[in-house]
Amino acid sequence: MTKPLIEIDHLVKKFGDNTVLNDISETINQGDVIVVIGASGGGKSTFLRSLNLLNKPTSGKIAFEGTDITGLSEKELDQVREKMGMVFQQFNLFPNMTVLENIKLAPMKVKNATDAEATAQALALLKQVGLEDKAEAYPASLSGGQMQRVAIARALAMSPDVMLFDEPTSALDPEMVGEVLKVMQDLAKSGMTMIVVTHEMGFAHEVADQVWFMDQGVIAEKGTPEQIFSAPKEERTKDFLSKVLAQ
Amino acid sequence: MKKKWMRWLTALLVLLSFLGFSGINHVQAADDSLQKVKDKGVLVMGTSPDYPPYEFLVNDGGKNTTVGIDISIAKQIAKDMGVKLQIKSMDFDLLLVGLQTGKVDMVISAMTPTSERKQSVDFSELYYTAEQSIIVNKADAKLYKDKDSFVGKKIGVQTGSLQADLAKEQMSSSPQLGLAKYTDLVLALKSHKVEGIVAEEPVALAYVQHDPDLALINGKFTLDPSENGQAIGFAKGATSLVAAANKSIDKIKKKGLIKQYMTEAADKMTTNTTDTSMIHYWKYFAKGIGYTLLITAISVVIGVILGTLLALMRLGKNKLLHALAVAYIEFVRGTPLMIQVMFVYFGLGIFLDIPALLAGIIAVALNSGAYVAEIIRSGIESIPVGQTEAARSLGLSQKQTMQSVVFPQALKNIWPALGNEFISLIKESSIVSIIGVTDLIYQLKVVQTATYKGVQPIIVAMVIYFVLTFGLSKILGYFEKRMKHDEATH
Ligand SMILES: Nc1ncnc2c1ncn2[C@@H]1O[C@H](COP(=O)(O)OP(=O)(O)OP(=O)(O)O)[C@@H](O)[C@H]1O
Ligand SMILES: [Mg+2]
Repeated sequence: MTKPLIEIDHLVKKFGDNTVLNDISETINQGDVIVVIGASGGGKSTFLRSLNLLNKPTSGKIAFEGTDITGLSEKELDQVREKMGMVFQQFNLFPNMTVLENIKLAPMKVKNATDAEATAQALALLKQVGLEDKAEAYPASLSGGQMQRVAIARALAMSPDVMLFDEPTSALDPEMVGEVLKVMQDLAKSGMTMIVVTHEMGFAHEVADQVWFMDQGVIAEKGTPEQIFSAPKEERTKDFLSKVLAQ
Repeated sequence: MKKKWMRWLTALLVLLSFLGFSGINHVQAADDSLQKVKDKGVLVMGTSPDYPPYEFLVNDGGKNTTVGIDISIAKQIAKDMGVKLQIKSMDFDLLLVGLQTGKVDMVISAMTPTSERKQSVDFSELYYTAEQSIIVNKADAKLYKDKDSFVGKKIGVQTGSLQADLAKEQMSSSPQLGLAKYTDLVLALKSHKVEGIVAEEPVALAYVQHDPDLALINGKFTLDPSENGQAIGFAKGATSLVAAANKSIDKIKKKGLIKQYMTEAADKMTTNTTDTSMIHYWKYFAKGIGYTLLITAISVVIGVILGTLLALMRLGKNKLLHALAVAYIEFVRGTPLMIQVMFVYFGLGIFLDIPALLAGIIAVALNSGAYVAEIIRSGIESIPVGQTEAARSLGLSQKQTMQSVVFPQALKNIWPALGNEFISLIKESSIVSIIGVTDLIYQLKVVQTATYKGVQPIIVAMVIYFVLTFGLSKILGYFEKRMKHDEATH
């Protein structure tokens, strides 16, 4: 049983004369795990950030859970954004708050959760990402991998319907990549809808339902991991994969 | 929000209309200046009380009171008009501005009606022409009649004074000893290093009255009245006020009241050296500290609120608000605080009667707001966009993001710069003394005139300023450290 969660309709995004997203129409169903790959500058971040309207589309529509969100007011958008968790390459934890405060902030401010509720939930999430002992620590005292796991917990605290990951492991030392991917993998298993921009082909292979290859502002090719990795049809997909795998 | 911008717009209009107005003199067809004073029931006098015995401050039971010959004259004029007298102190150089902008009705400040001054204000007739006297030891009083009795005798004068010039010209056969202070000259006289001291009559009288060993003789100098006479200044065209004042002056002259005023003033002057220690004047300094801190504290609070507002306007998307904020910030930062203080007191004073203290606070706060705005803007801009994006992606509104995420971090980054601004505010607020706000600098001048000591009060004030700023910087440093504590290092 598939239900469309996000429907993208002729999405175009231009920065000045630079067309970064060139007429994308796709549908993401509930429970889908989609991995987006592609060369640098292809528009992957812009695509992801268009979904929760951190970037406003130049034209086209995005429907989330059946409603068009491109025309919403900022206030209405705030309500949509709570349901779309986002994890960034640079973690973007709030350095002036403890781990616990980072996670509690949005539930308390946006959902008016009580301190006790928010704390209980935050501690449960920290346990889920394996960091229950870091509740009182400040971000500066954590390793990159730990910071990214806190960032994931922070996004999950709003009980989102979809999680957007923008190269969550690119800024990490190699030995820390695994711990973050593990958390993401568990999340996928729990049925979370996920859109993940990553260069981790192993992860894509194992976890993705679909792999989208993005190039020059369009989804140039998409398919199951097997189709994309074993039998890419497009020349540019082959090119990209051979470069990535050569590394 | 909208209302705030309206207020700004109004302020801007006021400013523009003032600029347009200022070229035109306030000429009234029929002069109603006297009637206006009578209607108000108060005659407002401007003076610069640092010139004993004409006008000076005495500490009267812990309160500063302005006294002197000029004040007595003003009281008589007010009495004759049947109104109360109100005294506004300001720098001598600002007195005429005060007249032109209607801050004061008249100026009595031992002012000589030069032709230059006559172009911008009207003057009463001369109420006093200072005689030049010579102070001698009482024991020698019989030996000397006038300036010509001092041939071959050494004479004391205050360096750089009018008396020094007079003595040079008209007592050319008496060698001069020039000293900076009359107290030192008196010591020289008593030890016969000099045989006489040339001084203006009221000053001479003050010393003689306080010291039974001294006597006073008339120097009989030839004087040019246009250089020595003193008159009362009024706004141009205030003929009825001038007439009323002249009537009072005639009366004062006829009754010989000036001599009486002079004696009263001399009585109040401190001329002996016994209680001129700085400790004796601690109340003056304490009061100054109080006002300096008051002005600074209020200005800091208003400055931060205004600065935050301006910074948000400048960073915001609304083009009009952005332009307004930029214009304000650039304009305020591009003009000296001194001019802003004068503008608020005298300029806006045309429309609103703002007391000097309030005007000072407003000017300093408005000034500080512009600087704080730039500090806050740089603080906000120093926070990576990722912080905002993370907060917004969690569903926080723009306002919540600012309040909970960006601002607290920005505050920590700008704390040292903000601290510097507060510290410089303590120092820069001293400019309000020019409009007569009794802050530390003003009190410093008061103590200088009261004690005839130039340097000691300066040193005391300097130490006080240093203690204030150093103390504040220590307190700010403590908070800075506490904020850093939040963020454990690796
Ligand atoms: N705010 C912006 N203003 C102007 N141009 C932008 C902006 N953001 C992105 N771009 C441009 O859009 C293009 C796509 O950028 P984007 O970051 O989406 O690519 P990407 O696929 O995520 O690349 P990477 O792998 O390096 O993260 C680039 O040419 C970039 O310069
Ligand atoms: Mg990117």
